[in-house]
Amino acid sequence: MSFFDHVFVQPWPWWAAGGGIGLFVILLAWTTGKPLGISSGYGSTCGFFSRMSAWKQKPFCETWRPWFLAGLPLGGLAAALLAGGPHLATSLHAFGGSPVLTGIAAFSGGALVGLGARWAGGCTSGHSIVGIALGSKASLIATVGFMAAGFGVTQLLFRAFGVA
Amino acid sequence: MRFAYLLFGALFGFILSRARATDYDAIAGMFRLQDLHLMGVIGVAIGVGALGMFLLKRSGARAINGEPIDLKPKPMKKGLFLAGLVFGAGWALSGACPGTALAQIGEGKLYAVFTVAGILTGTWLFGVLTEPRTASTLTAKEA
Repeated sequence: MSFFDHVFVQPWPWWAAGGGIGLFVILLAWTTGKPLGISSGYGSTCGFFSRMSAWKQKPFCETWRPWFLAGLPLGGLAAALLAGGPHLATSLHAFGGSPVLTGIAAFSGGALVGLGARWAGGCTSGHSIVGIALGSKASLIATVGFMAAGFGVTQLLFRAFGVA
Repeated sequence: MRFAYLLFGALFGFILSRARATDYDAIAGMFRLQDLHLMGVIGVAIGVGALGMFLLKRSGARAINGEPIDLKPKPMKKGLFLAGLVFGAGWALSGACPGTALAQIGEGKLYAVFTVAGILTGTWLFGVLTEPRTASTLTAKEA
């Protein structure tokens, strides 16, 4: 397999992917001075549609956040195109391949993600990667919570739907 | 500058996709302890990020765009563990976190449109639930 295939077409091994994310965090901080954090951008987006004071303060009022969010699907699309896609998918086999069940799980799971991220003050990027890397005890506690519930809920789901 | 952040977002979306962080099976595999790929990804990312940010902070330099480098650990707050549980339950149920949900849309995983709508709803809900408090702190600051 060629070098191009390894870098642009195939999924990366864990060490390369982790290194890539770590280097990205450094690149963003070095060039712009900003710590990576995604979930706050959803607060900025809420600010477009709402006059609530919560979204008028930092970090939600920072104008770079919605632009960063808008870039994420473009990166996903580029990854899919390079791998010969995109292949459209409307369901997950964990939900019996049902688009309706998958959609309900996606929306309700998303709502918990949004609520939990704002309550915790960060998500997988801001807490689990940048926060822990900066030695924050708060980020470690939040991440233990992310993982604990992730384990529990996944076990329940796989029992409920009988997918082994 | 806005265009630069759009490009940064695209680069990060690409990395998340190649890391398989957007793949439901990889996430479920991590939570069922059957495929520890993503745990390795997160671990290496923390290690590399910690070293780089330590060096950046120690250098005391400004960022290339002239801004100060703003790398402060997040503060402790009440209910953090419970908040983490709520997030984790959603992560397992939807197979996505705030960044990967958007990258999934680009990959053609159409159900992620519902995930993103859910995240916006949850975020907005938190704003509604805490609005009286944030409004009063704002007025206190302005006064």
